[in-house]
Amino acid sequence: MPKDKRIKRLSFFTGCVSWVLLLVNVLFLARQRHEGEANLAEPYLNNLLSVIFILSVFLYQRYRVHAQRTAEFTAPLQAVLLKGGAGAYLTALLFFGYPSIQEMGTNNVFLLDAFYQVLFGFLVYFLAKAFYTWRQFILYQKTKDLMTQWKWFEILVALSLLVPLLNVEYMKHIFLILDLGLLLAYGLYLSVNLRWVAFLSLDKKWLSIFLLAAILLSIVLFSHFLFQYSDSPELVVDYTDNPFILITLAFVFCYTLSSLLVALFSLPTSRVFEQKNADLLSFQRLTQSIQQGQNEEEVYALLFESVIKASGADAAWLEYGEDAKPSARRHNESAPDPLVQDIKRALAQSGKDKQADWNHIFINNDLRHSSTFKDLQLPFHSLLVMPLASNKRRYGHLYLLREVEQGFDQDTINVVQSFTNQTVLTIENLRLLEESLQNERYKEELKIASLVQDRLIPKTFPTDTWFEISSYSQAAKEVGGDFYDFLQLSESRIAIIIGDVSGKGISAAFHMAQMKGIFHGLMQQDLLPDEFMVQANSALSRCLERTSFITSALYIIDYKMQGVSFARAGHCHTLYYNAMMEDTFYFQTEGLGLGIIRDASYAKRIHRLHYDYNPGDVMVIYTDGIIEARSEDQEEYGEDRLKYMLSQTYHLEAEDIKSAIMNDVTDFTNDTLHDDQTLLVIKFKPRQPNT
Amino acid sequence: MKIKHTISDNTITISLDGELDASSSVMLDEELSNPSIMMFSKILVDCKNLNYISSAGLGVFISHLQRFEDAQIKLIFFNMQEKVRNVFEILGLDLLMTIVGSYEEAVTIAND
Repeated sequence: MPKDKRIKRLSFFTGCVSWVLLLVNVLFLARQRHEGEANLAEPYLNNLLSVIFILSVFLYQRYRVHAQRTAEFTAPLQAVLLKGGAGAYLTALLFFGYPSIQEMGTNNVFLLDAFYQVLFGFLVYFLAKAFYTWRQFILYQKTKDLMTQWKWFEILVALSLLVPLLNVEYMKHIFLILDLGLLLAYGLYLSVNLRWVAFLSLDKKWLSIFLLAAILLSIVLFSHFLFQYSDSPELVVDYTDNPFILITLAFVFCYTLSSLLVALFSLPTSRVFEQKNADLLSFQRLTQSIQQGQNEEEVYALLFESVIKASGADAAWLEYGEDAKPSARRHNESAPDPLVQDIKRALAQSGKDKQADWNHIFINNDLRHSSTFKDLQLPFHSLLVMPLASNKRRYGHLYLLREVEQGFDQDTINVVQSFTNQTVLTIENLRLLEESLQNERYKEELKIASLVQDRLIPKTFPTDTWFEISSYSQAAKEVGGDFYDFLQLSESRIAIIIGDVSGKGISAAFHMAQMKGIFHGLMQQDLLPDEFMVQANSALSRCLERTSFITSALYIIDYKMQGVSFARAGHCHTLYYNAMMEDTFYFQTEGLGLGIIRDASYAKRIHRLHYDYNPGDVMVIYTDGIIEARSEDQEEYGEDRLKYMLSQTYHLEAEDIKSAIMNDVTDFTNDTLHDDQTLLVIKFKPRQPNT
Repeated sequence: MKIKHTISDNTITISLDGELDASSSVMLDEELSNPSIMMFSKILVDCKNLNYISSAGLGVFISHLQRFEDAQIKLIFFNMQEKVRNVFEILGLDLLMTIVGSYEEAVTIAND
């Protein structure tokens, strides 16, 4: 921030200048007093300069000490000690290290004054640094109230600078002393904001105590020097008259002292805090293990590690695996195998009646005096067995051992339980995630199967002038068992096949693809419809499973001869409209489905029918999904209704007849699909003169 | 789907109640696959309450047809509802299997 920088630069500059001027002025004053000569110096100027100096230094530090964003408190403490407190030690070193200075000080007024001035400079710098560092500490995790309180404190403290500025001898005004006393009390009140101490780890706490003690010592040293000479008649300026210095010094002292004491007394409890913090962290790691892509093994390892830390167990093992079989995998820590076996045997004995209750938490806090464990001579006194289980599944058991009696209190058990619960939750979520991924894969593959099957069914029939074909096909599931296809046998002949494989889904889809292959393979030989069925039956007999069969119908249309010959192998009856007779009817032919009889005798069960068609005739070919389509009250669509539909729509184009029928079917079923539906409408047209 | 059977001498009568779809035909298949059924010489299937038969249900009968024939066990359906009979007929099974009107007829044919 450029503004901050400018203020910092300016205050640094004014601070330096004012201090130098102050020094010069003090020296002049000293000379004046000493030699009785009048010169430029003025006592009032001194006050003004000191106020400017103090303001500059405090302003500088105000912008220099950064807000406490992390729980790192030792670094700022070090800064206070090294940059601020060091001044006190330096002065002390000079003072005690060279006793000659002391003598000279008493003899030489200038030197004493200069020394005092240097001390003042150090002190103010230290106070400013400490004051604003403490501000950041007090405001750590601040509240709005606290911010307001501090703001007022800062303003009031700043106001006390007016006292030297107005040259008031505050000692003479009782109310001023009272005010300052109140301000001091306010500072004391603020000193209870020691939240930051709680965030120190044990090591950091020790370091902080050391640093705080050193800072405290530097405060004492400063005060010592400040007050030692304050009453010296040789001294021209006495800064103890400045209430601002006194108040900030007192505040810094109070806060340092209270921090030191609180840090010292919170030492014994910090282990508990650290433990709780570690538990919390372990918990977080457990909950986040899914996002981090950890597997079950790693989750168990994490649980084991965390629980041992949280419970302070001396030995432990974790049994887990599918429904916790005896061969369960195991994490082990300082529990030798024979011991594990012994304990498990004893447990099984003691808990025979509780065997059914798998979720039972077993606690024995006095193993040496319990009847079942007494004989084992265990080096442990307490045992806790925690089940890992959800409502539906069991995952394993966690065994914890402690060398002390009463090692597992309710709090520990609660913590261990929340860990195991979280682990179970995490494991279940992991499995759910895996399952859903697997399902996703299956879905993807089904989608591909559906696409492949879609390609097996022709979308367009050859267009010609002698006929119209319109088709509809809809699978109930992703893939179905219905199929139809065509093959142009010669210029004037076309073979059309329709079929339905028993059953639904993938297996039906496979057989449907097989049937398509058989159709294209066999019809290369230009077989008659009944011949084709016999051969197809023989081919299917070798590959269809026993419970499966296929119904099919094959039509060979010769439009030069204006005839259609067909064979029906167990498939739905063909619906026909004869334009000449204006009659709608079903062809009643006999024929057994494919794959029902799997020997040569099938030939007797299939028949061929030839029919000469007239222009305007309509043939409707369909699968049982149409006539067995059900309404909401379980009524079947039926052959009669289909026949009626054709008798009403035969005059339309093939496409429109198909749409009319399918609309009627969907209306009837209210758009619920139970079975695959296929519908082909073929409308014959007059032979073109040129063919 | 409910499957009941009553036994008298060398005859087992299986009555089907409900819809014979993909899931219930598994039950029927288990019933017919039971080796003890080969001890009977006649199997009568009462279809009075059979409301619907799917291709899977037909498949079960078809798959056992040959086995029963080889073991000279007679399989006779009776009391079949019109629409169920239609399904058998369309597929051509009426010529392959014995389907009669009443229980008495079934018994008569079985004893021939």
